[in-house]
Amino acid sequence: MTFSLNEIEAMSKRAARGAGLPWGLCEEAAKGTRWLASFGLPGPALLADLLELNDRLPPVDLSPISLSGDWRAPAGRLSPLIAGSAMSDSAMRMDQGDTITMVNVSFPLLVVPFASGAALRLQGAVTVEWGDVHLTTDGLNLCIQGPDAALNAAHANSLRCFASAGMTAPKAPVVRGTLDSDVAARLNAFAHRTYAPATEQSRLLGAGAGLSDND
Amino acid sequence: MTQERQAGRHVPLRDPRDVMRLARLGALHQSRLSFMRILTRRMARENWRFNRTAFEINTQGVGHAVYTAHTPTRSYSLVAFAHDLPPEQRSDRVIATAWDATFTLFDGVPTADDITRLSQNVPLQEAGRVSQTELSVSRANRSVRLWEHVVASLAAGDQPDMARIKAVGYLMRTTAVYGSGKLGAADREMIADRPEFNPPFQVEMLSVFLTRAFVRDLVQHMANTRGGDQTATLDGNISRHMGIGNSTGLGMAPFLLNHPVLFNNWVAAREEALARVRAIKAARDGEITLFEQMLDRSALSAQQWHSDHPIQIKKLAQLRADLDQLRAHLDSTDLRAPDPWDTLYLWAEANLSLEGQECLASLLLEPYGALVDELSEHMAADNTPTFRIAGAMTLGALRGILETDYGWALNTDWSAPENRARAWYVSEEKLEPRLGDRFKEAIEDYEQPLAPGRDAATLFAAIAHWPDDTPVAEFLLRHPEHRHILRRAQIVNRAPYAEIRDNTIAETVLPIDMLRCKLAFFGASHFDPRSDRWVRICMYGGAPFPEDLCPDTADTWVYPQLEDDT
Repeated sequence: MTFSLNEIEAMSKRAARGAGLPWGLCEEAAKGTRWLASFGLPGPALLADLLELNDRLPPVDLSPISLSGDWRAPAGRLSPLIAGSAMSDSAMRMDQGDTITMVNVSFPLLVVPFASGAALRLQGAVTVEWGDVHLTTDGLNLCIQGPDAALNAAHANSLRCFASAGMTAPKAPVVRGTLDSDVAARLNAFAHRTYAPATEQSRLLGAGAGLSDND
Repeated sequence: MTQERQAGRHVPLRDPRDVMRLARLGALHQSRLSFMRILTRRMARENWRFNRTAFEINTQGVGHAVYTAHTPTRSYSLVAFAHDLPPEQRSDRVIATAWDATFTLFDGVPTADDITRLSQNVPLQEAGRVSQTELSVSRANRSVRLWEHVVASLAAGDQPDMARIKAVGYLMRTTAVYGSGKLGAADREMIADRPEFNPPFQVEMLSVFLTRAFVRDLVQHMANTRGGDQTATLDGNISRHMGIGNSTGLGMAPFLLNHPVLFNNWVAAREEALARVRAIKAARDGEITLFEQMLDRSALSAQQWHSDHPIQIKKLAQLRADLDQLRAHLDSTDLRAPDPWDTLYLWAEANLSLEGQECLASLLLEPYGALVDELSEHMAADNTPTFRIAGAMTLGALRGILETDYGWALNTDWSAPENRARAWYVSEEKLEPRLGDRFKEAIEDYEQPLAPGRDAATLFAAIAHWPDDTPVAEFLLRHPEHRHILRRAQIVNRAPYAEIRDNTIAETVLPIDMLRCKLAFFGASHFDPRSDRWVRICMYGGAPFPEDLCPDTADTWVYPQLEDDT
């Protein structure tokens, strides 16, 4: 089933919130998922997997302990949303030739949208690689190299991000996303947690009803 | 010419700390830069053609119609479905599930297969799905007060009563116009590179413009059905006064907070326009005359504006008094003197209420289309560059932004219950946005991030013990809960009109202020709050219908004609 990218973004934001992430990271999850979907990549499915894995866990457990050296999480595995955000926030370090290395990161493809943010800040290409996978983006387009199974892996032992020379065989984004109905259902199950249960009081007062609206 | 008259003058933009207060935003008026007027000017300038290619509606008023607008290069079609709605189901609330009429704006000219597909989805609204060939989805309900009167009058061979038409202003009111990818429709990004859709909300404004033509035709059709040969044809001078109503609830208020860069660009365009006009050194006779005409027509519009809501009654009284005072002031003022508009504006700031000041700010733009209309091309927003957090910014710099742009919030006592009495949330009932009482309802766990002032004050306290030279990236690693407001602070640092500089969760907050602000940018008039949380307005009242659209009729229709004052 096709979805507008706005729908994918809105669904992802609510789902991330439903899984307990702070709003700022929900916004990152939503933009990132949308970005992946615009390249036909399974961002929504991987987000659903990630939210199920880390449901309501404290973000700090899955964050880099320090931005110096290799990035590792206190709980052993890095969240790609949190580590990815930190990588985008630290984009200037890659401009100086540094490589950011993330150790034990879940669903590594979810890191890639943050490379796009970093690339726009650096006004150059940024590469993310793990295993046999190499992805390079200038922020707008994306070069994809690597087998699908590795691309959509649940885990990467080591992931590297660095500024790179340029793009070969770039793919441009499309403006429509596809989503399996079971993925939409999984995301919507998380999203549903963010909706206040219906009560008569809420129905009457919350939207300011009271005067007749049938006149 | 204009630059010459501007030489040597610089009038700064108004301070966002004043402009972005809710009381002022809640006193905004439409202007040349309103989205409806941007559209009607373009349609006339580009000589768009319009035709009705289907009107298959039966004697019960059930069926469909298609209205197509042809730009020089493309076509867009309003596909309208008319329904026979039992009165007990008629509601303007988001939680309604059936309507008198439902619509979609189709990208191109629909085939029979498209109509079939749309007929199975558009009438369901949120419960249906549309596709990337649809640009908007909307619905409308009849005004019970006026619909029957117009049908009965025409069927009896008479024209409807003008006083009753002016009292209501519309035959149908839309209760939601969804665009930008909602319900599966095309994303804005798919169409944003088309010049006609560069300014904001042009899809939605076109949809409503065509809806108005459909509603006029439908009421005539229903009258013809009832009255047969004796039925009168609705007089064009009467139908021109009929706009399309709109009933707007809380969903619009979060929009302004959730699109800070876009909101900045709207306000910044209007502020830049005002500053350009205030900088003019000398006004020409024709410009003065045009300004005075629009002022008089604006005063008439204020007289015709009705509301039963106590807050609006008071504001209306202020506006009418302001416009009287302004008119009297002009009698003793020489607008041929140097710097006429800046002098007049400064007089208004000192003498008029916010209603009068903002009405004047809009009126000042009227004679200067050549100077300000191009700003409509800068009202859209690309959020990509501002979304990313600049992680290298130091906490010292962040502290400075918070002190400058959220000073009001740092001076607010957020422990006082009255300053955080409300919470914005989304109900599971059709995802209706609502505003509740934080201390009396179990809603805080569901709160949406729509209180930037409180969040900025919390962030300010959280960085108090951190060194000035720490990059925000380091801070966010420990405190991801501040990522949302830190992003906003960085945005407002670059886009000063991005943030409402007022408390959006105070006990005294009036969501209708936010609704009015957004609707004024749409170009709406005659705001009629029905509570502190929803408002009715009129769109395209006085506007030409498609067949009457030309450069002469395309722009100042929003001001009633003085000869119509009967």
